[in-house]
Amino acid sequence: MREAGRGKRDAGSVVPAQYQPPLPLDRLILPVGAPGAGDRMELDVLIVGAGPAGLAAAIELARLAKGYGRDVTIGVLEKAAGLGEHSLSGAVVNPRAFRDLFPDLADSDFPFRAPVGKEAVYLLTGGGRLRLPVPPTMHNRGNYVASLCEIVRWLGARAEELGVNIFTGFPAAALLVDGERVAGVRTAATGLDRTGKSGPTSLAPTDLVARVTALAEGTRGMLAQAYLEWQRVASANPQIFALGVKEIWETKRPLDAIIHTLGWPLPADAFGGSFMYPLAPTLVALGLVVGLDYRDAGLDVHQLFQRMKTHPLFRGYLTGGEMVEWGAKTIPEGGYYSVPARRSGAGVVILGDAGGFVDVPSLKGIHYAMQSGIFAARAIFQALSADGPTSERLAEYDRLVNSSYVMHDLYRTRNMRLAFKDGLYRGGLKAGLMTFTGGRFPGRRIAMPPDAEVARRVRVAAPFVPDGKLTFSKVDAVFKSGNATRDTIPTHLLVGQDVSRDVADLYARMCPAGVYEVADGSLRVNAPNCIDCKATDVLGPRWTPREGGSGPKYKRM
Amino acid sequence: MRIAVCIKRVPDSETRVKIAADGKTLDEAGVKFVLNPYDEFALEEALRRKEQGGSGGGEVVVFSLGPPAAQETIRTALALGADRGVLLQVDRIPPDGWPVAQALAAALRDGGYDLILFGKLAIDDSNHQVGPMVAELLGLPCVTAITHLDLADGRGTAEREVEGGIEVVEFPLPAVLTTDKGLNEPRYPALKGIMAAKKKPLDVKPTALAVGGLDVVALTAPPARNEGRIVGEGPAAVPELVRLLREEAKVL
Amino acid sequence: MSHVLAVLEQRDGALRKVSHEVVTGARRLADALGENVDALLLAGAAVPGMNELGRLGADKLTTLTNPAFRLYAPEGYARAIADRAKAGGYRAVVFAASATGKDLAPRVAARLERPLAQDVTDVAVEAGAVVAVRPVYAGKALLKVKFAGSPALLSLRPNVFTPVDRPKAGVVEVAAVDGAPGRVTVKQVKAAEAGALDVAEAAIVISGGRGLKEPANFKLLEELARAFGGGAAVGASRAVVDAGWRPHADQVGQTGKTVSPSLYVAVGISGAIQHLAGMRTAKVIVAINRDKDAPIFKVADYGIVGDLFEIVPKLTEEIEKLHA
Repeated sequence: MREAGRGKRDAGSVVPAQYQPPLPLDRLILPVGAPGAGDRMELDVLIVGAGPAGLAAAIELARLAKGYGRDVTIGVLEKAAGLGEHSLSGAVVNPRAFRDLFPDLADSDFPFRAPVGKEAVYLLTGGGRLRLPVPPTMHNRGNYVASLCEIVRWLGARAEELGVNIFTGFPAAALLVDGERVAGVRTAATGLDRTGKSGPTSLAPTDLVARVTALAEGTRGMLAQAYLEWQRVASANPQIFALGVKEIWETKRPLDAIIHTLGWPLPADAFGGSFMYPLAPTLVALGLVVGLDYRDAGLDVHQLFQRMKTHPLFRGYLTGGEMVEWGAKTIPEGGYYSVPARRSGAGVVILGDAGGFVDVPSLKGIHYAMQSGIFAARAIFQALSADGPTSERLAEYDRLVNSSYVMHDLYRTRNMRLAFKDGLYRGGLKAGLMTFTGGRFPGRRIAMPPDAEVARRVRVAAPFVPDGKLTFSKVDAVFKSGNATRDTIPTHLLVGQDVSRDVADLYARMCPAGVYEVADGSLRVNAPNCIDCKATDVLGPRWTPREGGSGPKYKRM
Repeated sequence: MRIAVCIKRVPDSETRVKIAADGKTLDEAGVKFVLNPYDEFALEEALRRKEQGGSGGGEVVVFSLGPPAAQETIRTALALGADRGVLLQVDRIPPDGWPVAQALAAALRDGGYDLILFGKLAIDDSNHQVGPMVAELLGLPCVTAITHLDLADGRGTAEREVEGGIEVVEFPLPAVLTTDKGLNEPRYPALKGIMAAKKKPLDVKPTALAVGGLDVVALTAPPARNEGRIVGEGPAAVPELVRLLREEAKVL
Repeated sequence: MSHVLAVLEQRDGALRKVSHEVVTGARRLADALGENVDALLLAGAAVPGMNELGRLGADKLTTLTNPAFRLYAPEGYARAIADRAKAGGYRAVVFAASATGKDLAPRVAARLERPLAQDVTDVAVEAGAVVAVRPVYAGKALLKVKFAGSPALLSLRPNVFTPVDRPKAGVVEVAAVDGAPGRVTVKQVKAAEAGALDVAEAAIVISGGRGLKEPANFKLLEELARAFGGGAAVGASRAVVDAGWRPHADQVGQTGKTVSPSLYVAVGISGAIQHLAGMRTAKVIVAINRDKDAPIFKVADYGIVGDLFEIVPKLTEEIEKLHA
């Protein structure tokens, strides 16, 4: 589908946007009462996504309800089969939001692994490294190394203790609306065969009708996108994304510092870097994050990450160890200018990564997600106690976020990631200036196109032969994500028309899980491999949810 | 029909097995526990039989012997449609099926069940024994590993796979049956079922187990496979391969 | 007198191969205890081949006959064996972990009020106690258990206790017995559908992957399976199942089946972890692949590098010669 003026298309380059179908709004926004559902449930507040944002909102809301003696039924829908199984992050966590949510607990009660001790930042070259001073935006003293999976399971247990209903294995597939008001969601059907036909054990979707729906779907949330597009809510810049590929290793050599790197093996015109954190001295989480506006169609983040591990810095820790988990997820990188003008409306609020509350220069998003959940809960509770969850009442959520450290932090670093669109060195220079001037210079908004509109040079990539000990193929990697999606599941990906060979190659390299392959010159889709990282939704075929419980089963990611 | 289903909380089949410091048990850190997959067939069969029984009513009661966390497993069964659950609570499930069978039999004895269903084995210990042991203790007929079941007029016909064939077995009710894959296609849980499960009765009964006759000496990783070798290239290597398979590996 | 009782199996009036394995296992235990092996068979009438078991280590070979015992009679068998075990004061009772054995052994154990270890892969005696090893967690670990008291009841995993000659007296006796039929009646054993041997049950699995190039070429593997004379099944990697070449029921690995055959032959399969997870507990793994760097060779016990279209027919030919 080509639209005039979208990206410059040279011979030898591809513009992914030209092959991307639009969001199927007619399927994603349904009038409440539309046929197609088997059951219907009613609740006061429905939260889509049991991640840190959704669970923090549930906990704060349940606490407020209990404290004021009000009965508020709260349901949280989670597409993964178990809490945390689709959660993935580095992570080094700022405990601030935990303290706000649990004022009676101490840091030692929180599900963190260890306080950050030593930190180091390196610029890597092919064989060596140059130690850099830790940039001021990245100081992590007072923060904690943690596993997001463990955080989510802990928050889930607290939520259930407060009477929150958490339904795992139920993805939300459409918004139910009543005029302009969001009235709830419809879940995905279960048990369909490869062609989408139902069988004896198939379950029809369920409609969950609620006074308020909180969309906390995480990065590139489908319903959040649908709502913003439907309501034409703009942001100064479109949201842009990076793809992170991560592994957890049991190592023989202990790690006692958190490490970040830039440079090798990333090409100079790609934005990104790596992290390596000790969950325990010999349990190491490491990963590579690359902006999806990369210019080389042959760039494969998974493969780049595998190559990265061969650098003496990483190899030194990993040799003799065992890779125990693998996964990938996108990260919204647009920062301040990509946050939508409003994240609330009649009957709806948008939380966490789905709202773009991630600060790339400090690599932080978890505490912003939780804080947004806390603010949302407060606004929702006030609204329910007053004249109802109208758009005016729920706009209080936006006011709370805008006047808080969440937006102040994002504003301070508003152009840092964007500066890198000109490459590592010029970008680094600009970013350095921004740091020194507290964001004032260069201060004007740097415009960014959506990732899909960035043209990429077609290049024949060198084959990559994994050794199966330090480096792994995508097929082996997907196995380590715990993905055991049934092979007979219908495909959930909406592929555009006329996907050329070059574009098919781009998809195959873009997807870390090997969903896309070029077989006999055409695109082949191995939908069960999908681990819901959403890179495909950013650059390629659009993502929709599969039946509940599909996808990865992360344990400590 | 009154049907009892005995279920077990087991580590997920994809669990990476790490041995605990005592050298005898599984290190449970980070292990996900699920309803034993073979028990899903038993539960599904029970639910279908009850539903087929029509408005005459009927009840499906779920029993489990396990630690406190097994309540979650029972709730899963309640969410699928069982009416109530009983947890025979112990600190640890023993490695020996005999005391387990004795405790379950005692709990089931006076229930007046038409059918008592088990999964044929639990995927953790694969001991394949509790169901028939319970049947002996209760003096009930038993058929194991069934892949097909017909019931009519107080009698049943079941099929079970044996090497190279299918055994057709007849028995009277009440009876104990253990279920195998292929008996039915278990249902998915529905949201309403999950909500309803929270209100269904779940009795927790602390249970003392009889002394078993089996002790664990050690739990170990399987021996690492010896370094294999390439026997040769092309069809010319085949006779040597066959010789090795016969004389060295002894599989031919 | 504290001998070892070995429970044999017959079908259609012929001894099943597992009977030899049971005697072998019982013999190993009896040697460690310094005791005899009494082999016991329940059948409709006397069955040929019993004296051969003397060569494998049975001191006494008893067949109890009753028309009701022609087919497996769960309750009648359990009673007869339990009574025999009690009367004989046996130290151990050994079954095969066959479909019948796994059904029968727990019934006997409950009647004797004794523990049972099923699907055992090794037996020994340590400090006077019977000790058994069995795979647990789908073969991802081995559990060693020790029996307190007597008798120890065990069922032996098939294809593990390879018969060895340990000639003993092998005194054969046949006695008719009374037996109430029992409430559970085996009416018949239907033949399984032709060619429907399940990959999860087969002793030999030959799996094909994308290296076979097209679905029609699976014929080569079917011919190889036939050469093994029944007991061999053809499996498939996920890639070829996804491509629609083979049915999902044949898939080995990932969400297909986990198989534990004695012999697993991977043809044109590269060896992705997800496939390996399905066949890791196979006793012996053979790989045939044109790429000497294929990961499967690191896991296989024996490998041949080369063109499978030449190697597989040659292997079929050699196996046919063996069985001729």
